[in-house]
Amino acid sequence: MYIELLKLASPETVVVVTALVVLALGLANERTAGLCSGVAAAGLLFAVAAVLMLPQQATLFHGMLVITPLTSLFKIICLVLAFFTVILARADLSSRNRGEYLALVLLATIGLMLLVGSEELLMIFIGLELTGLSLYVMAGFDKTDVRSAEAGLKYFLFGSTASAFTLFGISFIYGMTGTTALAAIGQKLTTAPVQPLLFVGIVMTLIGFAFKIAAAPFHLWAPDTYQGAPVPSAAFIASGSKVASFVVLGKIVLVGFGPAQGSAAWHAMVAGWAPVLAALAALSILIGNLVALAQTNVRRLLAYSAVAHAGYTLLGLVAGGREGFSATLFYTTVYAFTLVGAFGVVALVRRETGGDDLKNFSGLSSRSPLLAGCMSIFMLSLAGLPPLAGFFGKFYLFSAALRAVDNNGLLWLVAIALFGSLISLYYYLMVLKVIFVDEKSSSTTQPLNPSTSADFLQEISLTVLAAVVLFLGVMPGTLVARIIAAVQ
Amino acid sequence: MSPFLFWIFAGLMLVFGAGVVLNRNPVASALSLVVSFLGLAALFMSLDAYFIGIIQVLVYAGAVMVLFLFIIMLLDLRAEKLRKINWLASAGGIAVAVALSVQILYVIGNFRFSQQPFPPLARSTVDDVHHVGSLLFENYNLPFQIIGVLVLVATIGVVVLSKRELR
Repeated sequence: MYIELLKLASPETVVVVTALVVLALGLANERTAGLCSGVAAAGLLFAVAAVLMLPQQATLFHGMLVITPLTSLFKIICLVLAFFTVILARADLSSRNRGEYLALVLLATIGLMLLVGSEELLMIFIGLELTGLSLYVMAGFDKTDVRSAEAGLKYFLFGSTASAFTLFGISFIYGMTGTTALAAIGQKLTTAPVQPLLFVGIVMTLIGFAFKIAAAPFHLWAPDTYQGAPVPSAAFIASGSKVASFVVLGKIVLVGFGPAQGSAAWHAMVAGWAPVLAALAALSILIGNLVALAQTNVRRLLAYSAVAHAGYTLLGLVAGGREGFSATLFYTTVYAFTLVGAFGVVALVRRETGGDDLKNFSGLSSRSPLLAGCMSIFMLSLAGLPPLAGFFGKFYLFSAALRAVDNNGLLWLVAIALFGSLISLYYYLMVLKVIFVDEKSSSTTQPLNPSTSADFLQEISLTVLAAVVLFLGVMPGTLVARIIAAVQ
Repeated sequence: MSPFLFWIFAGLMLVFGAGVVLNRNPVASALSLVVSFLGLAALFMSLDAYFIGIIQVLVYAGAVMVLFLFIIMLLDLRAEKLRKINWLASAGGIAVAVALSVQILYVIGNFRFSQQPFPPLARSTVDDVHHVGSLLFENYNLPFQIIGVLVLVATIGVVVLSKRELR
């Protein structure tokens, strides 16, 4: 049995070993510390290879470790996002404590992979905590910056409260069904009478995930954390953690709580988790988009837009079913890649001009046409303009939501989402206006560090990300077909 | 266990539990907590939960509280001794505690199972340490190992965040 476990958990094992090696290299001496990023990146690629060699279907310990095409696909996506984070971190961090930082990135990645690859509430909670603890430390990692400390502290306080709620909710669910495996919970709930205690448990469980995906009204940590944390940490919090949380949230509500779905249709609401998620989605879309209009800092703007995007993505889960879940998965993947790219551009601009306010971006198109081009692809994709991936993702989500319920019952939610996208166009274009039209004011500070070779690597990775976003917009079928085939 | 012993240990727990809150000297509070934990361990033993009782003594009364005492002695906590008691807040606290106790008693009184005696537990031939061990290393093997990784993350985090940087 242990050999079987080692074989099926080989990607996680590879990442753990890499994390330990990176930690040791960082501690050894100055010279080996330089190797850390390379080793971390190589380890992640090895882990991708290990995922590809896993069998098609396997289950261990009643669902604690599940391997299906879906989990394998999303493990690879999490690993790739971690890879880009490592590249971002390579240039962004001072040489101090680099080994520890990269080790934390890798350990957080293990948490993400366990989250994706588990259908058991105990394991899911441990995965949430592993990811959360690593990300709290990563957010507060820059000890020379008081904003980073603020980011870490806020993220930690909100996060630990949210996990307490989730754990409490899970204990209710366990008390009622006597099991922690999602499939068994789903079976128990089909026969058990619907009782108020069940809804208390469901709502409390959802609170923790609403925090993780930064859905309003649990989004209050997001602006300060996105703005204050070191750029690679913010990018990883916004991308990897979000993708894994949406995968798990989808599995929990659709597999575990499936019988208690209820309905969010207009004038025909039925109690269940669907109306709860619909309310979260509507609130997130409105609050996120309206508050983003007033932001002058690009990272804060991205944070509020993240709240809005969490709202759009929830639409797929409210719709439910195979189609809604695949729409959610596609959208969150596209969003994660776009956001890592956008944070990459922010990191480069920040290094060049010493800040990440909107005015620091003025005249970027004349300084660096490549960065300006990448940023415009990311922003337009977030706004949802064709032919970029964001457009197709939104189209897929909205059509899934419309078709899910009879009589266009979810039309009210889709209308809110369309209204929100319309508002969002303004602030995304605002960023592009600053980049392309505004002249660089002469008073901005001198470049802090002249460009180094690390910039070259980072520019390549940004170009790759922009190409991915463009490619998924033109030929979305390549990823969508995989996701649909994987979602049973 | 005879009811007589139960009342002794329960009384010990409650008296020293109150001592934790009432003592102005933090060291005395911590020591009262240790005694209270010992009483709790005895109660666990009386319920045939020998493993939890022993763990209670070894981990809580032994390791955690001794660490706590070290920290209290290293910190300068004289301010706590000088602080005046806020009578209004204490009265509020007591009111909340009494209300909660009344509620709990009411709920327990109306609970169906509380009227009938608890059936004796089935005697098993395997001791409970063995049970816990086989559960941890068979069914819950993967979570057990992941908790190890979690502790590693916590250690790294504490060291990185609390280390004084040399300039």
